Amino acid sequence: MQYMLLIYDNPADYTGDNAAVMADIMAGHMKLGADLHAAGIQFSGNQLRPTDTATTVRTANGAQTLHDGPYAETHEQLGGYYLIDAPDLDAAIAWAKRIPAAARGAVEVRPVVQR
Amino acid sequence: MILAEAFAEARVRVVAVLAARFRDLDLAEDAFGEACLAAVQAWPAAGSPADASAWLYRVAHRAALDALRRRQVRAKAPADPPEPPATPEEVMLDADDPIPDERLRLFFVCCHPAIAAEARAALTLKAVCGLSTERLARAFLIGEPAMLQRITRAKRKIRDAGVPYETPRREQWAERLDAVLATLEIAFGQAYEDAAGSGDAAGLALEVLRLSAILVELLPQEPEVLGLAALVRLAEARRPARLGPDEVMIPLSEQDTALWDRALIVEGAALLGRAGRLGRTGAYQLMAAIHLAHVRRIETGRIAWADIVGLYDALLIVRPSVVVAVNRAAALAEAEGPEMALLALEALDEPRLAGWRPFLVARASCLAKAGRKAEAAEAYCAALALGPAKAERLFLQRRLEDVAV
Repeated sequence: MQYMLLIYDNPADYTGDNAAVMADIMAGHMKLGADLHAAGIQFSGNQLRPTDTATTVRTANGAQTLHDGPYAETHEQLGGYYLIDAPDLDAAIAWAKRIPAAARGAVEVRPVVQR
Repeated sequence: MILAEAFAEARVRVVAVLAARFRDLDLAEDAFGEACLAAVQAWPAAGSPADASAWLYRVAHRAALDALRRRQVRAKAPADPPEPPATPEEVMLDADDPIPDERLRLFFVCCHPAIAAEARAALTLKAVCGLSTERLARAFLIGEPAMLQRITRAKRKIRDAGVPYETPRREQWAERLDAVLATLEIAFGQAYEDAAGSGDAAGLALEVLRLSAILVELLPQEPEVLGLAALVRLAEARRPARLGPDEVMIPLSEQDTALWDRALIVEGAALLGRAGRLGRTGAYQLMAAIHLAHVRRIETGRIAWADIVGLYDALLIVRPSVVVAVNRAAALAEAEGPEMALLALEALDEPRLAGWRPFLVARASCLAKAGRKAEAAEAYCAALALGPAKAERLFLQRRLEDVAV
């Protein structure tokens, strides 16, 4: 099954003088990628640019409008994702737990519809 | 009645094995239901089979295969004409394998931590014990449509999110087992909450006792499994003594020990002893030990309050919570006097406590013991204002009268 691991964290945790934290997190992602590869798991993933670069296209009553910013203004924002091929939810959760995070954050595990 | 007993006995094994084989809880439950219907028709005439479970398993297995075939026919273009359904006699001749034991897998599926806790409890009671949605709705104090939705949603998540029909891998074992135990704890809490429950709640409690016994059989080396089984037995043993003749709640320390169920106490104590010998303590064993310390009164005539405070201290380390802290304070009031307990209660740093009944009751009781009657009356009134169930309301009103003089 394919699972999308959506990484939500607080952009504020990445700003300021925290080169060491950032380096740790990046190293964590590199390690995770290598481990996924070593485990023979098909995956892809990307880091997203901060939400101040986001544009939202909204559709309501048949009309579409553009909105400068993310879909929802919350403290935690979608910052990146992994798309992995895992045998079951337990395996997907185990990988989700290994995603490096800043001080706080969340990873949402969503199965992908198979067609 | 004999039929119902045979069905209850066979249910968990049959549903478990079908669910594991077809990875579909609904299919497993429906097939078992069909097998029971077939048994109702066949057994009275032909006599009950020697191995009722094996009979039900074979018929249910065939029913599941038929249902799958019907599904495929419906999903695809017309294929071969379906085979006529097997008669029970044919099924009897079919296979003679023993039923594989997949009960543990069923527990782990129904109690997966990715499913909301209260839905887990309902789903387990439905899939493993066969409780109806209507019965579950009554037990969990919600409407039947809401309960149906809760169960349907949980089953859909199991199917669509890929919850594995497997026993967990080693690195997930602890988390997954905790979820199973927490599920049983919630189910028992639901049954225990209702002190007046001589019918419904007591029946639900018996189901939880049965679930915990199955788990002990399946995981005899897990001390917390034994601890939980001990806990529910030691708590349930006191049900007959929890209400006075006028339906007023009787607190544990004042209950008539002659009314306690000695067989359950002996069973619970033995389970806790076995858990202790495995040498890994945990929250359920500590809670069971607290209950055991109370029921020891049956032999000693007194309550070892200092021991109970010590057990609460240990419990606070493994499962820190205000609930435990308030209960500890109540025990401390008996062991070292109400002033010490009031200090402990005041030290709790939790803003919502003022609106939480057990805290208000513990505080009121300490104040009354300390002779601070006006303050005690105020706290009892605050607790009553939160609208407790009838048995506790009557109890609190009496305590209020005692201090209102």
